[in-house]
Amino acid sequence: MSTAPDNTLSGFGDYFDGARARVQRVAVTVFPDKVMFEPAEGKPVIWRADELRALPDQADRTGIVLYRAGDKLARLAVPDETIAGALRANAPQLTRRPPVENKGRIAGWALGAVASVALIIFVLVPIMANQLATRLPPDGEKALGDATYEQIRTALSEGDFVPLETCEAPDGLAALDAMIARLDPGDDLPYPLEVSVLDHPMANAFALPGGRVVLFRGLIEEASGPDEVAAVLAHEIGHVVNRDPTRDALRLAGSVGVLGLLFGDFAGGTVVLVLANQLINAKYSQAAESGADEYAHALLTDAGLPPSALGTFFERIRAEHGDAEGITAHFSSHPQMTARIEAALAADAGRTAEMVPSLNRSQWRAFSRVCGGAEGSGEDSAHEKAPASAQHWQDGDES
Amino acid sequence: MIFHPLKTDYAGRGAPMFRLALKTGLLTVLTLGFYRFWMKTRMRRYYWSAIRPGGQPLEFTGTATEMLTGFLTAVVFLAFYIGIVNLLLMFFSFSLFAGQAPAYVVSFVGLVPLIFFAQYRARRYIFARTRWRGIRFGLEPGVKGFVWRSILWWSATVLTAGLLFPAQVWSLEKYRTDRTWYGDAQFAQGGDWKSLFGAMKHVYLGAAIAGGGAAAEYFLEDEIWLVAIAMGAVWTALGWAYWKAHRFKRLTEQKTVAGAGFRCTPRPGKLVGIYLGGSLAISGILFALLFVFGIAVGVLFGVVDEDVLEAGMDITDLAQLPAWMGLVAGIFGYFTVFLFWGVLKEVFITMPIARHFAETTEIVNGEGLSAVRQRDRDDFVEAEGFADALPLGDGI
Ligand SMILES: [Zn+2]
Repeated sequence: MSTAPDNTLSGFGDYFDGARARVQRVAVTVFPDKVMFEPAEGKPVIWRADELRALPDQADRTGIVLYRAGDKLARLAVPDETIAGALRANAPQLTRRPPVENKGRIAGWALGAVASVALIIFVLVPIMANQLATRLPPDGEKALGDATYEQIRTALSEGDFVPLETCEAPDGLAALDAMIARLDPGDDLPYPLEVSVLDHPMANAFALPGGRVVLFRGLIEEASGPDEVAAVLAHEIGHVVNRDPTRDALRLAGSVGVLGLLFGDFAGGTVVLVLANQLINAKYSQAAESGADEYAHALLTDAGLPPSALGTFFERIRAEHGDAEGITAHFSSHPQMTARIEAALAADAGRTAEMVPSLNRSQWRAFSRVCGGAEGSGEDSAHEKAPASAQHWQDGDES
Repeated sequence: MIFHPLKTDYAGRGAPMFRLALKTGLLTVLTLGFYRFWMKTRMRRYYWSAIRPGGQPLEFTGTATEMLTGFLTAVVFLAFYIGIVNLLLMFFSFSLFAGQAPAYVVSFVGLVPLIFFAQYRARRYIFARTRWRGIRFGLEPGVKGFVWRSILWWSATVLTAGLLFPAQVWSLEKYRTDRTWYGDAQFAQGGDWKSLFGAMKHVYLGAAIAGGGAAAEYFLEDEIWLVAIAMGAVWTALGWAYWKAHRFKRLTEQKTVAGAGFRCTPRPGKLVGIYLGGSLAISGILFALLFVFGIAVGVLFGVVDEDVLEAGMDITDLAQLPAWMGLVAGIFGYFTVFLFWGVLKEVFITMPIARHFAETTEIVNGEGLSAVRQRDRDDFVEAEGFADALPLGDGI
């Protein structure tokens, strides 16, 4: 298409003045630097080439619908392909978008939305969850725990939607019962303690509402002896007694929906939702962890078991796997962990020799094989490494 | 002078729609959903401009930032409801009934009025941002009346096992049409509450055949009646296409604005054809895509491990892939299918349906339309935020 100064193109178009709904058929002349047309009434209209804008994303690909920058109402529709082509060639800013209006108001609303969502998730919901957790009757707590237990088992089963197996070798369970009997929390719980072992390679454990504690096969394999498992169990019992999992489950019920709302359920949202869910739940608060530790300390001491086992076990796993794995992630929020270990060790020093382990040798052997499989601690190499897809469950306190 | 009816052209084409939907869908996925307001705006601009009554395209003038602001407004209100109210419901549900089902039920029932609210406000926004021949449409404020009418009519529909559904559709449509404007000309919905029952006749008939068959099967215990149930089910499904076509025809032909009326001739058979053909095309393409994806994973896998490539492919080898690679392939595959399903649905279902309804609709006695004057802009901060935030199953 030639754009020589004396070269003009003419044809027709439909003009809408934005005041009345009539179609004004007009003669359109395209100059290199402007377009001119004459409505039925009034003077000829001239739009400069650099003021010309075209409506975007139009279905009709042959013609073009023009407007003048700054004019929100008037439209000139040119159906002819040649003239539309000439206009596209001559107008330098045809595709420029009008400036965004009300930037300040949008920013204000965006801030307001983020602030109110943050307020709800991080302040209101946790406060309410704290208040309500201790008021939930035992039956309700148990139902809540059962519901979350099934969800977690399904989520852990890497994608095939068959809930993860529980380990039920009879001798192993008998040994577990013996350990639970030794650690009896008695009147601290309004419901019986229900401990199960999940067939999963990660060294981890968590507590759920309603007296449910779950140990992973990996934890038992990693432990050097029954007292270390007993110490972890006592810590999780501490969480149950303090209602931490109930608090967490209620908090989750309040926050997940809100986040889902923010991100919508379009594909991208799903991923963010999962990540955000992880963030929310990463840990109990430090106060909750100290609370569980204190309880475990007292429970273990009453049972005649060394409370220091908790710390030494944790330290060893951390040395082997680093901070981000399984139970270490759970305990990494513990206040003054090292100091506590030293204190516990010092307290135990004189007594360890007289203590009776939580399980005898044959009970421990049976317990190690509660999931079937090979005997011993940490020798089950086929399952040694947690698959990457399961790593997001590394924290023990999902509920 | 004789005014010919204004026929409606349809300018939408499959290839440009495919490109636009794919591009905007991809950006939406890549921006974790943030681009969806832009995607919606651009898709609407395309769909609107494709419809050309009398050869003049509709124009959608809504903007993405407007929708984003509206969405944020809605989030501020809904976050409170969903966070605090759901937490309380959960608590009482587990306290009193030891289960979560009651919480879900109450939570949903509480959302129902909000859904009607969102529907009316979304339509108000869409009309306020639609123009034809440079003149704006508009919907008057009136959401309160719409919400309580919707609640009553839907209760009546549920209580009569769906028998009153056509009356409900007509009545709620009348409420909205009578508040709809084109420039300074007000729409009017004619007909009465009985208008749409005829359009539903094949659904009733199909349901009666299936119901009768089920009753006969139950009492006579003869398996021959299963045929009647199957026949009734097919009849109902086809009857639903008849309902869609004739509901549109009857409602539209009873509308008037500025002395103009409409004539519609949509064909139920064509709708059935679009649904069947479209579903076949979509599933065929998706299967082909998955097949190609599977080969691509195989090639990737071959690059990773040359020994295996020499040894030949075996499904058990896949288990030796590093776990992260399987995860990446899985996520990629999921989003690919998700994205293409959405895109192909626009190309093979939504657009052909829009085309059919557009091309079979014409404006009669349209001479008065030229005198219609512009109406003021409806500054509507909230846009369609509530409809965006609530799972409304989004029509256009
Ligand atoms: Zn803990």
